[in-house]
Amino acid sequence: MNSILKSKEISIAMIVALLSILLTFLSPVFLTADNLLDVIKGNAVLGILAIGMTMVIITGGIDVSVAAVTSAVCVILGKIMVAMPDSPISIVLLFLIGPLLGIALGAINGVLVAKIQIPAIVVTLGMMSIINGLVLYITNGQYLNSSSFPSVFLKFSSFEVFGVSIVILMFIAVALFTWYLLKYTLIGREVMAIGGNKDSAVRVGINFDKVQIFVFSYMGFLAGIAAIAQTAYTKAVDPNGMLGLELMVIAAVVLGGANIMGGRGTIMGTILGVLLLGIVQNGLILARIDTFWQKVFTGIIILLAVSYDHIQYKRSQEKLSKIEVEA
Amino acid sequence: MNGYLLQMTNVSKTFPGVKALDDVKLEIRKGEVHALIGENGAGKSTLIKILAGIYKPDPGAKFSFEGKEAEIQKPIDATLKGISIIYQDLSLFPNLSVAENIYIGRDSNKKPWKKVSWAAMEEKAKKALKELGVEIDVHTPVEKLSIAQQQLIEIARALAFDSKLIVMDEPTSSLSAGEVEKLYKVINDLKNRGISIIFVSHKLKELFTVSDRFTILRDGKYVGTYDTEELSEDKLIQLMVGRQVLYEKNKEKIKTGKTLLEVKGLSKEGNFKDISFELKEGEVLGITGLVGSGRTELAQAIFGVNRPYDGELKINGETVVIKSSEDAVKKGVAYVPESRKTQGLVLRQSIINNISLPVLKQLRNKFKLVDRKKEVQLAKHYVETLDVRPALPERAAGDLSGGNQQKVVIGKWLSTKPKILIIDEPTNGIDIGAKSEIHKLMRKLASEGMGIIVISSELPEVLAVSDRILIMRHGRIAGEIGIGEATQENIMNYALLGPKAEGLYQEEAPA
Repeated sequence: MNSILKSKEISIAMIVALLSILLTFLSPVFLTADNLLDVIKGNAVLGILAIGMTMVIITGGIDVSVAAVTSAVCVILGKIMVAMPDSPISIVLLFLIGPLLGIALGAINGVLVAKIQIPAIVVTLGMMSIINGLVLYITNGQYLNSSSFPSVFLKFSSFEVFGVSIVILMFIAVALFTWYLLKYTLIGREVMAIGGNKDSAVRVGINFDKVQIFVFSYMGFLAGIAAIAQTAYTKAVDPNGMLGLELMVIAAVVLGGANIMGGRGTIMGTILGVLLLGIVQNGLILARIDTFWQKVFTGIIILLAVSYDHIQYKRSQEKLSKIEVEA
Repeated sequence: MNGYLLQMTNVSKTFPGVKALDDVKLEIRKGEVHALIGENGAGKSTLIKILAGIYKPDPGAKFSFEGKEAEIQKPIDATLKGISIIYQDLSLFPNLSVAENIYIGRDSNKKPWKKVSWAAMEEKAKKALKELGVEIDVHTPVEKLSIAQQQLIEIARALAFDSKLIVMDEPTSSLSAGEVEKLYKVINDLKNRGISIIFVSHKLKELFTVSDRFTILRDGKYVGTYDTEELSEDKLIQLMVGRQVLYEKNKEKIKTGKTLLEVKGLSKEGNFKDISFELKEGEVLGITGLVGSGRTELAQAIFGVNRPYDGELKINGETVVIKSSEDAVKKGVAYVPESRKTQGLVLRQSIINNISLPVLKQLRNKFKLVDRKKEVQLAKHYVETLDVRPALPERAAGDLSGGNQQKVVIGKWLSTKPKILIIDEPTNGIDIGAKSEIHKLMRKLASEGMGIIVISSELPEVLAVSDRILIMRHGRIAGEIGIGEATQENIMNYALLGPKAEGLYQEEAPA
């Protein structure tokens, strides 16, 4: 539909492909189904959150409390699970409670941003700090491990379809659902519209507050889903396990071509952004480079990608204004 | 029905401290083009926003639409009744496709999970564009379109909504002459279909061309509604401002002093070529030409923000190199940019903070902190001498009308005590009363010994303020005319045909 976005996604896909080819030469392990599935599985939680973040960023907002909200839901789910019966109903309950908790926390963010009009970065920083503090207070920073979970959850965690883990399936489901939401529902189009031009949106009768609250609540909803995925992936609850993940989430979205000022962003782009981050990480491990270099490399990639994007954008703007002058 | 499509009566609107509208009425007939006119701050945009459902009027206002009593509480109410507003800055979404831009807003009152049908959307959009006789691919993102095309998208949106009334706010402000002609045609078509149009503009000529009737507002009050035949430009202006102001050609002569600025052979690839001229103390030099002829680029080069270039600048006889705006200010050059809202002012900040901005360094006390008292004094001085209204230096610059904002920008640059003042489009989007005030101000500054360069597309304005006029064309100086011989016609000749105005160039002259 949008040729700019399309070409952008293609250029990210090209980088992913080039990197993959390089890694295939460097390590025979890279291009194996097991390794690739591991990469995706290991980044599924990041992916689920990044998809929610794409929506937030499209509206011109930001949510730095995602990792904290996810941790909080993990901890609460972990506590509840200990008391849960060993029956499939427990899984259903998890899928009810987790997202609802997330929505509640996200909605608080949304209401503060929309109704009291506090900048999103401030609201979500505050939220992050409060939640991180509370999580440490409740858990004392201690692990909850799988021995205390009902075995039905462990079965759920190891569920696979043709070797594809439930965690990946959840990621795919979230991606498809959000893509549909963004493209084919009224609220999805309103999200795009608000990012494009807030004043215009208000003039054509779009309820700006409602859309903002929706976007943050949806982010919370996905944080709830991500919490289940995280618990299934690690089969444990680590209250500190996701510290700093919000930066990776935002990075994936921005790498995927979303404009941090709003208006641009796609689910496909974000998935590619997540893959890119995942592959870089995997490649560094396969190449036996120390893990602390990962962050450095990730940072460099983000700065390069965003600078490139911004320079391109400025050029296209310059072209546009030139044409107008000559007319 | 009484022949009126829309009647708004007893419309008042009070903002904290200001009565923006006071018992105003507006009556629109079916299928007419109705000009809504008044100086900036007269209440036109407030009235339009009330009609659009963005502002709520004070209690007591009565609306009727198609003979029935109507209520407009939210934008969607207006939309569903068939009222479309095309704002000056347009209400488009650059990131969305043409089709979506045309369709958007239609479902704002529906359930959020309602499915959007792209096929239906594109169908509707194509149909609306076809009705307009426009060929634009509905998949194109709107950011790729020209302003004129974007405006057509807005009109197509109004058609797609089956609008019965379309409000156009300053629709021609960023269109070229040819595009304006096309817009008139579109308006005529709409009219023939029985669609009513409210046309808001500052350009009197164009209002007389397109409008059937006029409603005039002044200071938030209703002045009257007239048929076009009843009015002349003079009478209309009189009604608008309540006093006779029409600027005429500058006749008074100010004694010029020594040469302040000498420009020699200034050239910059793709901007301007071989520009030479002089500016003397007490002289107002007008620079005109079509938009895109390199005027602004030249001014910005002199001010040191459009670099590098070839050629030589002399100030007070000394060759200088101006590397930055800061440098220019130090050398006594000030530049009031074209766009006061984005380049000239910090809209959210107070008048005080805006005026003191370029001279903050000089306002520091012995602790190297800004002395607020001096700052306030400085601002008060300019608010008084420039007659900024309301004379409240604490107010945010964005709250002022266009003319008063412009005075603040001028005050801001006067605070740097320039010898050479360059003003780019000094009265763009400003009402007539304020325009002539700004013209007087420029003459006055010149009489105090300043050298002033006025860049303007508006020929009456150039004639009203300048002592000498340079005409630019395709980046070169096409001609120079002293105010004695200057007429709109000979200026236009140079601007369109160049120095050899012998028909070598076959370009169309706008009316």
